[in-house]
Amino acid sequence: MSQDTRRKILKAAVAASALSAVPFISARAQSKAIRIGIPTAITGGYALLGSQAQRTCRLVQKMVNAKGGVIGRPVEFLYQDTAGDPAAAVRKSQELVERDGCRILTGVIVSSEAAAMLPKLEEWNALFISHGNGDGRLTAELYVPRFFRANTSAPMGARALALYLRDTPQKKFMAIASDAAWGRSSNKAFEEQIKKVGKDLVDQVFAPVANKDYSPYITKIMQSGAEGCYVALQGDEARAFYSQAQQYKLPQRVQFYTEIVAQADIKVLGKDAIGLMGSSRYPITYDIPENKTFLEAFRKEHPNELPDWTDGEMYQALMVLFAGIEKAKSDEPMKIVAAMEDLEVTSVKGPIKMRKCDHQGENQGFVVKVAQNKNFSEPVGEIVKIYPREQITPDCRKSSYST
Amino acid sequence: MDFVSFALTQCLSALSQAAILFFVACGLTLIFGIMRVVNFAHGVIFMLGAYVGYTAARISGSFIAALIVAPIVVGIAGIAFERLLLRHIYGRREGGSDLLLTFGLAVVLSELIRLAWGAQPLSLPAPEPLLGALFILGQPFPVYRVFLIALGVVAGIGVWQFLERTRAGLLIRAVSQNPEMVHALGVDVGLVRSGVFGLGCAMAALGGVLAAPLLTAFLGMGTNIVIDAFVIVIIGGMGSFLGSVIGSVLVAFVQVIGTYYFAELALAFMYLLMLAVLIVRPGGLLGKEE
Repeated sequence: MSQDTRRKILKAAVAASALSAVPFISARAQSKAIRIGIPTAITGGYALLGSQAQRTCRLVQKMVNAKGGVIGRPVEFLYQDTAGDPAAAVRKSQELVERDGCRILTGVIVSSEAAAMLPKLEEWNALFISHGNGDGRLTAELYVPRFFRANTSAPMGARALALYLRDTPQKKFMAIASDAAWGRSSNKAFEEQIKKVGKDLVDQVFAPVANKDYSPYITKIMQSGAEGCYVALQGDEARAFYSQAQQYKLPQRVQFYTEIVAQADIKVLGKDAIGLMGSSRYPITYDIPENKTFLEAFRKEHPNELPDWTDGEMYQALMVLFAGIEKAKSDEPMKIVAAMEDLEVTSVKGPIKMRKCDHQGENQGFVVKVAQNKNFSEPVGEIVKIYPREQITPDCRKSSYST
Repeated sequence: MDFVSFALTQCLSALSQAAILFFVACGLTLIFGIMRVVNFAHGVIFMLGAYVGYTAARISGSFIAALIVAPIVVGIAGIAFERLLLRHIYGRREGGSDLLLTFGLAVVLSELIRLAWGAQPLSLPAPEPLLGALFILGQPFPVYRVFLIALGVVAGIGVWQFLERTRAGLLIRAVSQNPEMVHALGVDVGLVRSGVFGLGCAMAALGGVLAAPLLTAFLGMGTNIVIDAFVIVIIGGMGSFLGSVIGSVLVAFVQVIGTYYFAELALAFMYLLMLAVLIVRPGGLLGKEE
């Protein structure tokens, strides 16, 4: 065989194999999973919130893939541990994007982690949808086109409470907030709102992150003469505060209004939590078909647990994301961005619209009061008032309200 | 609220906080004094105490059982760690191998706690008789905090008397001064070290159980308290038992009063106090300059 003939045969063989591979590649691309990166807190002080985000992702993966996936492709979640640290969040997200091919990110726990990731999204060609980051600035001063927030933000939670307090007989309020981005953002919004509804904010204090002893703050609240106290603490800070306040018999003098009613806190506080009022990011008792479906699936998977606000918000964020992917018919980040703008979905919290101007999800506002409910084994937040999303969502690209 | 009742309740709050800090800092300073080991795992051991206490209380239905079982279990675990791992690095500590080893223990232990008990916070309430409030000059003050102060005083006097009046205490003091000489006199120095490490861990565990009704038991509950404990040990003097008592009271007062008057600077006050002490007495209030 001459050299020319050998070359021709080789070329033909390469061409033939390439041609035969085309349908295979195409079929593989069709069934290739949509990969979603979850840079979340698996270890450290935020591990509880991270574990809640993870369990809901696993549940959703099971539910969605059982129905044939999204745009005919299965959904796959990849997890990385950030331990709630902003630098680690950027590093782990980069690994998820560049090494694992996840162009969609969600499940980030801390607002400062989210803020650190926003400037990198363009470089990563990635989309980030928040399920729980509350800092109002994320869709205001820090706005980037590739970021969406499906959840209720801190100013929105504070707004719902302020609207509720407008109609209560109490006139004097005090505020205690965590000295972190979320706590500051919540408190700022509450201060603005409570003054707007004509009530008196007599004092406000910021407790250091992971503070242990709340006795000086409790004394201040007792001295202030406030009839109500706004509490923007969460997780271990909130539990420590309520436990210690109960020991000082403070709830007998002052009504607490919390920025986030969390089921994990209620479970630990038990009967001490009964009577606590607050804004709810996910009201477990909301009686709509979408929530019933989620609750049934969740309780089947976790018979001894109740979903917390993180679970509800994670579920909602994923429902919004999947609706966006279905509308875009693609998992390309910028196509999803375009599809999600002004997208309307009905989720576990009722109707939500991802408004185009700043990518903040317009959510309804819920005020709940913790009480025993015959349908649940532990006290839960009973809905006291629902505010329409137009009243709850701040002005575009702002954390404040003009009305 | 008049000034007298305000000052009194703030002092009592600070003393109750000092009691918890004392249990952690005392163990830390004993371990350092005898073994010259900076135990980075002390905060996680405090947390382990709370979790073991939770399980003991759940099984027995008694908070008192938690107060007894947690220090014993965690103390034994501490002795096992010292015998199996820590003792091998006494001779070669130049590269900071004690820091690395105890830091490694902290990481492994906190992950083991997460795997064993889960990420959910756990409730360990105070027993019914301690749930009420006393009225001091018309101001409510929790009975549980009074219990903490009383227990702190009893434990402080107990440890002090143990160190000063018993043969074991004499040996501990002797080992901290000159281990080679004590060894030459036929005393098993290794056994003394194991015992002290176990005692330090048991005290931290007791602190964890006592803190749980105030904080609940959760992952990361030992992170901040161990920083406070290190500051106390530095203020009081590394290895000084009495120094840890004084340091605990000073830090607690600075935290409570600082938080009340200058909430946003409260953390800075603790470090300023440490800085001031180090400038005046570089070895701490009752420590020796090395």
